[in-house]
Amino acid sequence: MSFDILWFAFHILIFPGLLFIVVMGVLLMGINNKMVARMQNRVGPPILQPWYDFLKCCGKETIIPRRAQKFVFIGAPILGFAVLITAALFIPFGGSSVLSSTGDIVVILYLLTFCSVMSIVGAAASGSPYAGVGLSREMVAMIAYELPFVLVLLAVGKLAGSDSAQGVTFSLATITEWQTAHLPVICHISMIPAAIAMLFVIPCEIGMHPFDIAEAETELCEGTLTEYSGAPLGVYKLTHCVKVYVMTALFTALFMGGITTGMVVVDVLIKILVCLVVTFLSMTLPHAVCARFKVEQVFKFYWTFVSALALISLVLVWIGL
Amino acid sequence: MTQLFDQFYNFVGTDINHFPIFAIVTLFLGAFIIAIVGKLNKTLRNVIVFIVTIIPFLLMLSLIKPIMIDGGVINYWMGNWAPVGEWAIGIGLEVDALSLFFGLIVTLAVFIVAIYSFTYMNRDSSLENYYTLFLMLSGALLGLVLTGDLFNIFVMIEIMTMTEVALTAFRVDYDGALEGAMKYMVVGSLGSSTVLVGIAMLYSQLHTLNLAQIAASLPSHQNAVTAAAFAFLFIGFASKAFLFPFHPLEADVNAVAPASISMIISGVITKCGVYAIIRICYILFQNIELPAVSISVTLLGAVSCFICVTMAFNQHNFRRLLAYHSISQIGYVIMAVGLGSMFGLEAGLFHAVNHTLFKGLLFLTAGAVQYATGSADLDKLGGLVKKMPQTCALFLIGAASISGLPPFNGFASKWMIYQSVFEKASETGNFVYVIVVVVCLLCSVLTLASFIKVAQSVFFGQLNPEFNKPEVHEVPVVMQIPMWILAGLCVLFGVFPNFIQKYFLTPAATAAFNVTNYIDTMLGQGTAAKAGIQQTEIGTVSSIGCWQPVSWLWLLLIITCAVCLIAVLGSNDNKKHATALNAEEKVSDLVGVKQSGAGRLNNVAADASLKGVASDHLLSDQELIIISRDRTIEDEVLAGEDPKYENFFSGEKSEFSQVGGSDLFWGFKHDMRHYFNFQKDWHSGNVNDYTTYGVAAIAVTLVLAILFL
Amino acid sequence: MILVNYIASFFLIALGFYCMAVKKNLIKICIGMGIADYGANLLIVSVGFNPGGTAPIFTMSELTQASFFVDPVPQALTLTSIVIGACTTAMTLSLVIRLKEKYGTLQADQVRRLRG
Repeated sequence: MSFDILWFAFHILIFPGLLFIVVMGVLLMGINNKMVARMQNRVGPPILQPWYDFLKCCGKETIIPRRAQKFVFIGAPILGFAVLITAALFIPFGGSSVLSSTGDIVVILYLLTFCSVMSIVGAAASGSPYAGVGLSREMVAMIAYELPFVLVLLAVGKLAGSDSAQGVTFSLATITEWQTAHLPVICHISMIPAAIAMLFVIPCEIGMHPFDIAEAETELCEGTLTEYSGAPLGVYKLTHCVKVYVMTALFTALFMGGITTGMVVVDVLIKILVCLVVTFLSMTLPHAVCARFKVEQVFKFYWTFVSALALISLVLVWIGL
Repeated sequence: MTQLFDQFYNFVGTDINHFPIFAIVTLFLGAFIIAIVGKLNKTLRNVIVFIVTIIPFLLMLSLIKPIMIDGGVINYWMGNWAPVGEWAIGIGLEVDALSLFFGLIVTLAVFIVAIYSFTYMNRDSSLENYYTLFLMLSGALLGLVLTGDLFNIFVMIEIMTMTEVALTAFRVDYDGALEGAMKYMVVGSLGSSTVLVGIAMLYSQLHTLNLAQIAASLPSHQNAVTAAAFAFLFIGFASKAFLFPFHPLEADVNAVAPASISMIISGVITKCGVYAIIRICYILFQNIELPAVSISVTLLGAVSCFICVTMAFNQHNFRRLLAYHSISQIGYVIMAVGLGSMFGLEAGLFHAVNHTLFKGLLFLTAGAVQYATGSADLDKLGGLVKKMPQTCALFLIGAASISGLPPFNGFASKWMIYQSVFEKASETGNFVYVIVVVVCLLCSVLTLASFIKVAQSVFFGQLNPEFNKPEVHEVPVVMQIPMWILAGLCVLFGVFPNFIQKYFLTPAATAAFNVTNYIDTMLGQGTAAKAGIQQTEIGTVSSIGCWQPVSWLWLLLIITCAVCLIAVLGSNDNKKHATALNAEEKVSDLVGVKQSGAGRLNNVAADASLKGVASDHLLSDQELIIISRDRTIEDEVLAGEDPKYENFFSGEKSEFSQVGGSDLFWGFKHDMRHYFNFQKDWHSGNVNDYTTYGVAAIAVTLVLAILFL
Repeated sequence: MILVNYIASFFLIALGFYCMAVKKNLIKICIGMGIADYGANLLIVSVGFNPGGTAPIFTMSELTQASFFVDPVPQALTLTSIVIGACTTAMTLSLVIRLKEKYGTLQADQVRRLRG
């Protein structure tokens, strides 16, 4: 009994829990930064720079503005980070996930939303007008990517649920099993538009460069983060890194899951490699190539182009192609 | 405890059959007593109101065991006019689990509103009129859900409409109160007339008004007239639930009625419409399993949901925004009810009760804000969290619930709705249901967005100097208690959804499918079989077991503690060493040295595995207390004049610059401006237009009903 | 014969709804509500009518299987409905009076501060 609890604690806190997630997030983020720099012919920061940033932030003084609501202002980033870790525990990464349920896709969707909401609430509590504009933009971005995101999830759920009695599945475990039995989802031609749509959803969900309308440094002075300093800012930065891991791992689980060699270590290494590729495609390339979008452009882009891609997949899957 | 209950039920015996009528009569009696003695003494009046609202609630609670748990049905013939030769002549009350479920919602809401009103209304005059009307309204609502007679439903609807109009116009001098009341009167009377016509048409075919008897004889008397009657009844009740296209009405009424009444309108009156729709679709006409009916009802729900949630985006008035959201949530309920599956109905019922809780809570917080500041204008308010922290916390609970964030109740019921819609989609292979799921999820995000807007415009951001005065302060405790009750229930229902499902939802949904039992209890055993009504098979119910909030909360707690600890340690280490080290040195320290205080931080942060377990040893409680005390002193000293605690203004002079109300979500509004402008023109505020939409809805429903039934 | 009643009642209901939807004057809207109500009342009474039936007034001993009378229930319903209709009209008119005081007009399209 006690051994079970220890094992559970190990899963939650070390692998594939907190520690592993944070390390992965930091690494992916660092490699991403490095690759962007190389593509722009710069040297770039060291790969562990996000981690150094976090430590440095934690060492700085935390200033709480007079107009801010202290409790919410401090609590929001911490709760947001905790929720994100919880969401990450649902995603299988080389083997099965720590937590799983028959509806974990919906749970992940809501937890990711919750995480964004926490950054919004924290910004709102700071009382800064810059943060006000930032949170407004963050919310618009959220509305923008939510539609294609949901469509992609439905398409994958329908495809992977075709074997089950219900016809549709919301469970990542079922999706993984289905991929083991058949080919990975990405190998089906009907799912390629959905995969592309998902690749577009990832940077917006994380708030990476061409879609970082909420944190636009040049116009909004970091938007939602304007008033943050010290440890809460560090936690925010870390959340940002972890989100990279969560989204790429989710992509991997949805589209390229189920490939097993039988050895956990090899599986994990393969997964990490796949995550890197996804990071490169979805974040590094747009970051290096594009300038920041405007708010209304982001919204239009996601509700027309990306949603259309996802919808094509959904319709194709539904009519059985 | 169980013994006590047993003793109670033994003591009551068969007298428990009198409980429903007793509950209804208490409320009406209370109304008359208040009308007589209300003027004399304020305390006496409040005591009477308290007593007559808590009694029906207790009576309904006591009915849980015989009806919900034992699965019985209570029927009661007024004046003992029992049926003769299977013809029901008298008026009967019939309380099955479905009725009781809604009865509980009604009585709970009424009780809470009564407590809230004591303080909330204390600045108004002629309150005896208010309470008289309020109790009559409550009695009508309770009568509507407990009765077993179709015409009785009509009478109750009329009492409801009438008192409702009077209560909306209660604050005559409030801008727009009369207008809202007038609109409600006209469109409400349109709905009532429609119901009456439906009843007359049904009577012409079946010559009975008793619900059970109608249910027994309808299947063998299906023709064009009953189809038309269904259309009339459906649209009449839909107008009472303010479904599309009656939704502008609710917004107009709720924006001007006292907040307590707004809660009754959006929390209870809409539920009565939903109850009546469930009753006619599942019990009376038993036609919800027809694909045409099922798809139309689900689509009606989806349309209501989407249109209202986008309408809410454009609002500048707190209460108007809430009103649109309330229809949007009722859209969810109707969507789930329209599926016609057991699990779908359960989901709908769960969302219905949750909606009463969180929307009630939100309306009461809106009322509290208005009570404190005198304004509900989202463009004017702001930064109230400093003035009203409790109300803000309550609002956040309500907002999280309605947006369906885990672990609040909205998440559990929305989860059930998605699951049921998707089950239906894969069962029928109909793409319409997939669209409905997408609409559901999208509406959820939009709901969230508009509550972010409210949070930012009312509670966060900067305090409007106009409200920065001592008169604006937290509302009295008596007003907070009902809100805390609702908030507590929101959390409880979210954390223990399985309990709710087992003891409330499943019995209620079973009752809606168990037509034979309903008929047999009312008219005697075997009537249903004689009328050719088959016992419908009640399929196995999916469980929401996969959603286990309790274990999650633990997990979340552990992780939050872990994260908190890093943050606390980090910031406090800095306090100790900030003077000694400059920032650059410190980073090198953090990376390299493991012995110093800063190194300890590194140790903790890097070795995250230790966080949950061993964290206590790294920093004793004593240390934490000292540090926190240091900090507060420091804060007090520094927070005085130090400009570093000001908000960042790019070097400009800081001034009142609240971002809220109509400033938010620019990109979205810009891209959708044609749609929003169209919606704005469409909701013209002209009562003629509203009536036209209503008449058009009647016409469309009639055509559909005649074509498909 | 009875068909005329049905046609008339639905004509009245439609007329009432038309009044409510088209007429701008609040008093006329109120009249429209009344007309729709009367249509519904006529419908109910007609439903209970049996050609050649007597008035439904009997003592228990007089009542036999062969007694042929008009259906009493709709008449009771109509009475109730008439009372409710009167209430509605009174309520509406009182609101109209206050509205006229407050807005200075009886035109429905000018009483629209709440919109959008």
